[in-house]
Amino acid sequence: MTQELNEIPWSEPLLPPDIDPAWEAELKRRGGNGSEVDRRIAPSPWLREACLGINTGQASEIPAHLFNVAALVTSQENACRYCYGANRAYLKMLGYSEAYIRRIETEAHLAELNDKERALIAFCRNLARSRPRPARAELEGLVRLGYTLAAAHELALWIALGCFYNRVTILLAVPPEQGFEQWVLAKRFRLMLMGPVMRLLAERRRRGKRDPQATAETLGAGDYGTVLRPLAGLPGARVMKGALDGAFASPVLSRAVKALMFAIVARSLDCRPSEAEARRLLAAEGYSEAEVDKALSTLQSPKLSQSEARLLPWVRDTVHIQTAQAQSRTRELAAAIGGPAALEAIGVAALANATVRLAMLLE
Amino acid sequence: MSAEAAAWLLAAVALAAGALAWSSARRARLFERLHAETKLRLEQLQREFERFAPPDLVERLTEGRGDVAPQRRQVTMLFADLQGFTSLCDRLDPALTVTLLNDYFRHMSEAIQRHHGHITELVGDGLLALFGAPETNPWQCRDAVLAALDMRAALAAYNAKLRVQALPELRFGVGIHTGEVIVGVMGAGELNKFTVTGDPINVASRVEGLTREHGVDLLITGDVRAELDERFRLREMPPVNVKGKPEPIRTYHVESIAT
Repeated sequence: MTQELNEIPWSEPLLPPDIDPAWEAELKRRGGNGSEVDRRIAPSPWLREACLGINTGQASEIPAHLFNVAALVTSQENACRYCYGANRAYLKMLGYSEAYIRRIETEAHLAELNDKERALIAFCRNLARSRPRPARAELEGLVRLGYTLAAAHELALWIALGCFYNRVTILLAVPPEQGFEQWVLAKRFRLMLMGPVMRLLAERRRRGKRDPQATAETLGAGDYGTVLRPLAGLPGARVMKGALDGAFASPVLSRAVKALMFAIVARSLDCRPSEAEARRLLAAEGYSEAEVDKALSTLQSPKLSQSEARLLPWVRDTVHIQTAQAQSRTRELAAAIGGPAALEAIGVAALANATVRLAMLLE
Repeated sequence: MSAEAAAWLLAAVALAAGALAWSSARRARLFERLHAETKLRLEQLQREFERFAPPDLVERLTEGRGDVAPQRRQVTMLFADLQGFTSLCDRLDPALTVTLLNDYFRHMSEAIQRHHGHITELVGDGLLALFGAPETNPWQCRDAVLAALDMRAALAAYNAKLRVQALPELRFGVGIHTGEVIVGVMGAGELNKFTVTGDPINVASRVEGLTREHGVDLLITGDVRAELDERFRLREMPPVNVKGKPEPIRTYHVESIAT
């Protein structure tokens, strides 16, 4: 059962804002908005890049309208107060009426949609929820309804990236953008008049061309390359690639714990290819098959430091995320391992969830 | 047609179109209100229903997904029973008895839910919780034992409150076993429920019964023990013959977990 915006429990922020003037200037230059999220993830270079990539991301295969609807539905399904509120306000800024947004939220709209649009919304909900776990057949279902394979892949990519962003903001308990939400509310009549123009501008901003640099070879090289390879040419693919490369190269947490976190998310969602890839990474870190088996069945590994060992039982609660419980457990984790490590862990957990969700569809 | 007649005709058409648009908009508003009310009622019903069945199951049923049919799967079962509560009932005021029992169930339920379990049966002062159903759970044995340890801590905290109020303290026995069972919605006619059936459920119940015999509060079987890591401090109990089992059952008392 999805929750209404005002029903979503939300705690105090996990971390204080970290103002980095150089990064804020860079953000503005590259079209970012210097949000509450940006200020809290600034200390993690790969995480802030990934979030900026998502905020300024473009789609070449799906229309901007569906892109926006998918973002709203995904954040609602993940019960992310921050993203859900921001997506709602953004749609209103583009001139969508409250009644229209309500219809999407309450699914009354479904009756007025054609099969293709209805399938798209159902796909968003199913992939975000992943209970029961979706599979390749759902992606193929979209193709049967008339979407191109590239469009279906792009949609899956942006839902996965939405799940990533939602988890970052939920686990950090980023304070909602109430200033923006209230501004939109106050200017609603003016925005309804200006909506078509705003929508045109926003659509132009979101409309991207196929990315010639995102080749199958480029995407396929590196950790979890098999998941990225089918996304060749999509403008959002390099956001995901950058996040994976950055996360695994980051020195804040060991590669072993990151691979174990991916493996635990994969096992939670019963995604064997993702678990196999994590096992390959763990073998490179000196883990035997028996040690991986033991770590995955007990959520413990004697090879990890005491603080990193805490991440294994914690990460499983990020899969089928329950907002209040996840925020409370993340607070306990941050108290034990410190802010910088917690921020990194949140990024890795969010990325593991996004990657495994994509991988499930390609199995 | 004269210009005047044409103007009248145009006005009449415009009026009719306006009336039609107004009527359609009114109907659409009515439909939306009706839909919103129905949705609200469904959500209220769903919330109420979640008090009787696991939320996941309720969602599957309300969404009309046909995946609630019985299936065979690995599930870990936790039986908990209050010891000596029946005789306590005879001595206490009925309202107080119910308050005690409700508070006890609330504390136990919170501990079970914290570790991904669902209470599926409440019978008298006993409860049955499932780990690994309705949704699969690769860490079900670990979760069940951690839940039982949390239940022990919650009961101790509750007993401290009862002591202050000069009320009798509660004691429980918990038995945990894991195995392949049939799980799903079962029943006939108007009474259906989500439950499990199979030999492992009988074993779990017998193990709970053994807590009295061994004088301990928390017992697990060898199958559960095999899934735990060395942080769990266990003490092996002497094997005991139980009804319906040709071989004696070997159980382990869970003493604590290293932090």
